[in-house]
Amino acid sequence: MITKEKEQELIGRLREAVINYKPADAKKAAEEAIALDADAYTMTMEGLAGGMEVVSEKFDTHEYFVPETLLCAKALYAALDILKPHIKVQAGSVRGQVVLGVMQGDVHDLGKNIIKAIFEASGWTVHDLGRDVPLKRFVEEQMKTDSDIVMLSAMMTTSMVGIKKLIPMIKEKNPKVKIMIGGAPITDKTVSEYGADITADNAPNALKEAMKMLEALRKGTM
Amino acid sequence: MQHTIIFQPSGRRGLVEEGTTILEASRKIGVDIEAVCGELIVCGKCRVKIMEGKFQKEDITSSMKHLSELDDKEQKVLVRKDAEENMRLACCTKILGDVLVFVPEASRTGKQVVSKAAGKIKVKLKPAVRKYYVELPEPDLHDPVGDFERLEETLYKHNPKMKKLTIDYRALQKLPDAVRKGDWKVTVTVWNDAEIIRVEPGRIAHNIGLAVDIGTTTVAGYLTDLNTGDVIITESMMNPQVRYGEDVMSRISYCMFNEETGLKDLQDTIIEGLNTIAKQASFKAGFAIEDISEMTLVCNTAMHHILLGINPEYMGVAPFTPALHHSVDIKAERFGINILPAGNIHVLPIEAGFVGADNVGCLIADKPHKRKEMTLLIDIGTNGELVLGNKEKLISCSCATGPALEGAQIEFGMRAAPGAIERVKIDPKTLEATYQVIGNTGWSDGEKNMQAKGICGSAIIDVIAEMYRARILKKNGQVNHDLSSKRIRKNEKGLSEYVLAWSHETAIDADIVVNQKDVRAIQLAKGALYSGCLIMLRRLGIKKFDRLAVAGAFGSHIDKVAAMVIGMFPDCDLKHVEYIGNAAGDGARIALLSTDERKEANIIARKVEYVELALEDDFNDRFSEAMQFPHMFDKFPHLKGILSDEDVA
Repeated sequence: MITKEKEQELIGRLREAVINYKPADAKKAAEEAIALDADAYTMTMEGLAGGMEVVSEKFDTHEYFVPETLLCAKALYAALDILKPHIKVQAGSVRGQVVLGVMQGDVHDLGKNIIKAIFEASGWTVHDLGRDVPLKRFVEEQMKTDSDIVMLSAMMTTSMVGIKKLIPMIKEKNPKVKIMIGGAPITDKTVSEYGADITADNAPNALKEAMKMLEALRKGTM
Repeated sequence: MQHTIIFQPSGRRGLVEEGTTILEASRKIGVDIEAVCGELIVCGKCRVKIMEGKFQKEDITSSMKHLSELDDKEQKVLVRKDAEENMRLACCTKILGDVLVFVPEASRTGKQVVSKAAGKIKVKLKPAVRKYYVELPEPDLHDPVGDFERLEETLYKHNPKMKKLTIDYRALQKLPDAVRKGDWKVTVTVWNDAEIIRVEPGRIAHNIGLAVDIGTTTVAGYLTDLNTGDVIITESMMNPQVRYGEDVMSRISYCMFNEETGLKDLQDTIIEGLNTIAKQASFKAGFAIEDISEMTLVCNTAMHHILLGINPEYMGVAPFTPALHHSVDIKAERFGINILPAGNIHVLPIEAGFVGADNVGCLIADKPHKRKEMTLLIDIGTNGELVLGNKEKLISCSCATGPALEGAQIEFGMRAAPGAIERVKIDPKTLEATYQVIGNTGWSDGEKNMQAKGICGSAIIDVIAEMYRARILKKNGQVNHDLSSKRIRKNEKGLSEYVLAWSHETAIDADIVVNQKDVRAIQLAKGALYSGCLIMLRRLGIKKFDRLAVAGAFGSHIDKVAAMVIGMFPDCDLKHVEYIGNAAGDGARIALLSTDERKEANIIARKVEYVELALEDDFNDRFSEAMQFPHMFDKFPHLKGILSDEDVA
């Protein structure tokens, strides 16, 4: 049985490894946690997700930019890959499922990858379809997984247009599903014009908005 | 229902349908308002002031109430821009009644200082258009053969290569009058030794053509003597399509969002622009516009499609397939271009969706495929294109630099027009800045009014490099608040900024600053270029290049040390950095002067191997690393003495 002190120490090391983008440290701390039979879920949420939260704050205050965030995500995955198989399904968890992908005709997936890291770190199940994804793949994947939210990324105005076609296709099959869109050309105006539910200007905000939507969905108020 | 709209200070007025946006009205009436973001309610550059009240002289009552309501999105942009009272964004505000609109200085497109000077070119003259003076035997009842056949026979005798000539319809219509007016002595203009495109009475020596470089931002035309190859006049202007969006993507999307008219609007606009250039250039040189017998054009692939009236939608999305690669020859008359109606418009071939005829122009001008040494050619415009290789092999790629390097997407960014800060120096000890302004001599001293309005592309690079050198920026691009200077501060929204020019030095009554977001935009743009260079080098399996050729009118203004300090390209000996000027435009001139070069252009356009950067597995990593100053890991030994030791070795 692992002591409280040791648990706190490991959580702290995971957090620091993510914040200071040290994949080797993250990996080592995760391996140690598994060897000591620490709770993988607590490690993930308090260590990795906790660290990523700090990263988000640093991004918000312009201390970190894309490169640092991406490196933090790498450190996060180094640990998450080890912890994930040991996470027991949590009863009454409010974490949801998302389908995520970059629109057809667009191969820019940097933003999408950061979103994925932040969501996975927070315990969400992410069905990542990759980039240049044909429209009907999104519809099929949502049906197959019964995901709560479909998240669409577009980095070019030209690929963004596909979103307008896609949203009715998804909502026709499943009117309850929420659509979040994001990427450089997307604005609040796009959201209303295309019939999406929401956008967010960065990954941490995307997570906040997704949590809100999910809670509303679970409460049946949306 | 129609309403009156009046724009000040130009005083232009017109009637528009209810529901028209102010920006649409401005285009209709011919008032230039900036629309950098492509009407997405983002950039806030189209701010206009609505004048309230009854305007006797203009005979209208103008009111804020005569406009569509302000929504949250617009409100946010206005707040961010600290807009004064009664300001609205022209792009989204609809006209519901009579209004008088004042377009502030900062929102006007303004006359740009365009410098796309013609470079020196070496080419063996072999123009497609040639003029022949011939004397025809006069017809009589014994020899009543037709004018065309008579001319054809004479030309054949003159030059046996000209067999089975055809004649253009418009030239034919004028033929009988021309031969008689010239008393059977005429000058015949022949295209490609195959078709008669003009017959003029008497002996005409001059033979002129026009080579045009259509840039996303500027258009330059070179009126050229086809007999000597010399440039007679260079004429340039802003690309009038700027009104529909500043970059290629916003114009493609304009076509997509306005299905009925979008493409036609943009096509008409550029053709009108080409006609203006042709008219001005020929007028200044003392010719008639019809004296221009041929036009060659280079442009990027999107501009190419729009110019030809081809839907650019498909080349705008992956896999970025263009409608064709091969060069195109079309009669001016079919195009609506007012040079000689039978004159040919030759559009150079394109390499790929994002590497267009302008890049082919660079290649035939610089000829890296004829060189033994390894050339890295960077053409920096609104988009960045790279070519790497030598006579063995050439590869190319396109970097989504965006217009940030040219000053767009930058809070105080502007084009290279009077009032633009163009050079910057920062003292690393005092952290004080001094700068030069276009249209104003001497360096600023922090006291006198420099009439500065904004920062143009070359100065953006300068100022970022200087800020990094002075450690105002950390390696990761963050503004360093550990330093103490009244110029380093946070604005009321908490955004870090560096004051480049104090309010009293400007013509806009506000401090000109470089903020953290501006730095980020530059990091993205230069990261794209640098990672493009790296991936290309890797693709050819080499570590370095022998020669860096920087093309583009904007490229010529960049200080190469500053460019390397921010890490726009990998470390190299600065002696091997060569500015090749507006190589795309030079390529258009070369094509105008030589049909052999046109053939070569078609071959080379298909030989260059296009690399799609975003498909490289590690592109995101390389891109991210390249966003730092000058690079996260790479060292720059050639910047010894300029940068600190940690960046040098």
